[in-house]
Amino acid sequence: MADSYRYAMLLSALPSHGPLFGAKQTPLSRIRLTQRLTLLEPVHAESLGTAARLLDWARLDPTRSDAQAMELARRLVPGIAHPFVRDLVTWRLELRTLMAALRRRRRGDPAPIDDRWGFGRWLGQIRRNWGESGFRLKGAFPWLPEANRLMDAGDAVGLERLLLVTNWNHLERISDGHHFDFEAVVIYVMRWDLVARWTSYEGEQAARRFDALVAAGMKGVDASVAV
Amino acid sequence: MNELVIALGWAGLYGVMALSAIGSIMGCAIAGQAAIGAMVDSDSGYGRYIGVSVMPSSQVIYGIVVMFTLQRDLTPENAPALFGIGLLAGLALLFSGVRQGQTCASAIHASKTKPEIFGLSLAPAAIVEGFAVFAFVFALVLAGNIPG
Repeated sequence: MADSYRYAMLLSALPSHGPLFGAKQTPLSRIRLTQRLTLLEPVHAESLGTAARLLDWARLDPTRSDAQAMELARRLVPGIAHPFVRDLVTWRLELRTLMAALRRRRRGDPAPIDDRWGFGRWLGQIRRNWGESGFRLKGAFPWLPEANRLMDAGDAVGLERLLLVTNWNHLERISDGHHFDFEAVVIYVMRWDLVARWTSYEGEQAARRFDALVAAGMKGVDASVAV
Repeated sequence: MNELVIALGWAGLYGVMALSAIGSIMGCAIAGQAAIGAMVDSDSGYGRYIGVSVMPSSQVIYGIVVMFTLQRDLTPENAPALFGIGLLAGLALLFSGVRQGQTCASAIHASKTKPEIFGLSLAPAAIVEGFAVFAFVFALVLAGNIPG
C-alpha cells in the first residue's frame, strides 16, 4: 500500500504532459525535471539512469557500431534492478532492432549471420524471415508494415511520427494502475523524452523557417543597396 | 479466563481509537505529500490542497468519540461486546482513512491540472467519508445496548 503511493509528492510536482503532437515545448525543462527526480530512492534513480544511458539518443555515441551498442545493452540490461524498467528498456531496444533490420534490408544487406547487431527475442525470427516484408511479425507489431511502407516512400517525418505514437501508446497501455508509484515516474520521464524529441524537431523546423525568412528579407535589402 | 476476556475488552476500548488514528495518519500523509507536490508545481490554490489533504483526520475524531461511548466499568459480561464493536469499528475507520487519503491525493493531482473539476473530484472522498460515518454511527447505537 505504501509503495503504490511512494511518489505522491514527486508526481504531483510534475506538470501534466497533454497530447504528444499538441505540445509546443516540454511541460518543464530538463534541468527542472532532473532537479525533481532527486526525490527518487537511490535504487530507483540508478534503474532510471541506466535506462536513460541506453535509450536517450542525446547520450548515445553516434560513432560507435551497432555491435558495440548492443554489447553495452547486453551488459547493462540484466543489471537493471527494477523489473518494470528492465521490461520497458527491452521493449524499446527490440523496437530499435526491428527498425535497424528494416534499414539494413532497404540498404540491400543480406540477412545477418549472427546476433551481435541487435537485441531481444526476435533476432532469430528476423533472420529466418529476412525476405518477408514484416519478418512475419505483423501479429506482434501491427505498425511494422506501415513503417516499412513509410521507409520505402522515404517519408522520414511520417516514420518518426509513427514510432513516437507507437512508443506513446505502449506507455499508455502499461501505465494502467500506476498513479503515484515508481512505474508512474518512469512512464512520465519516458513521455517527457518523447515530447522533447518531437518539440526539438519543431524547433529545428522553426529555425530553418526563420533562416529562410531572413534570407528572403535580406534579398530585398541587398537589391535596394545595389541600386 | 476472565482476565483474558477483560484484556480483550480493553483492547476493543482503546483499539477503536488506535486503529482510526493509524488510518488518519496514513491517509493524511498520502494526501499531504500530494498537496506539497501540487504546491511546488502551481502558483495558487495552496489552501485548497492543504484543506483536502486533512480530510482523513475525521476518522480519528470518530474513533475518540466511539472510545468514550464504549468506556465503562469492564466486566466479563460486557468485555466481549466492547472488543467486537471496538475492533471492527476501528478496522472500518482505519481502511476508510487510508483509502480516503488516496482519493484525496488523486483529487489534488487531477484538480492541479484541471482546476474546474476540483469540486467533483472530491466526490469519491466524500463517499468514503459517508461509509466511515456509517461505521461510526452504528458503533454508537450498538454501544448503547451493551449491558453494564
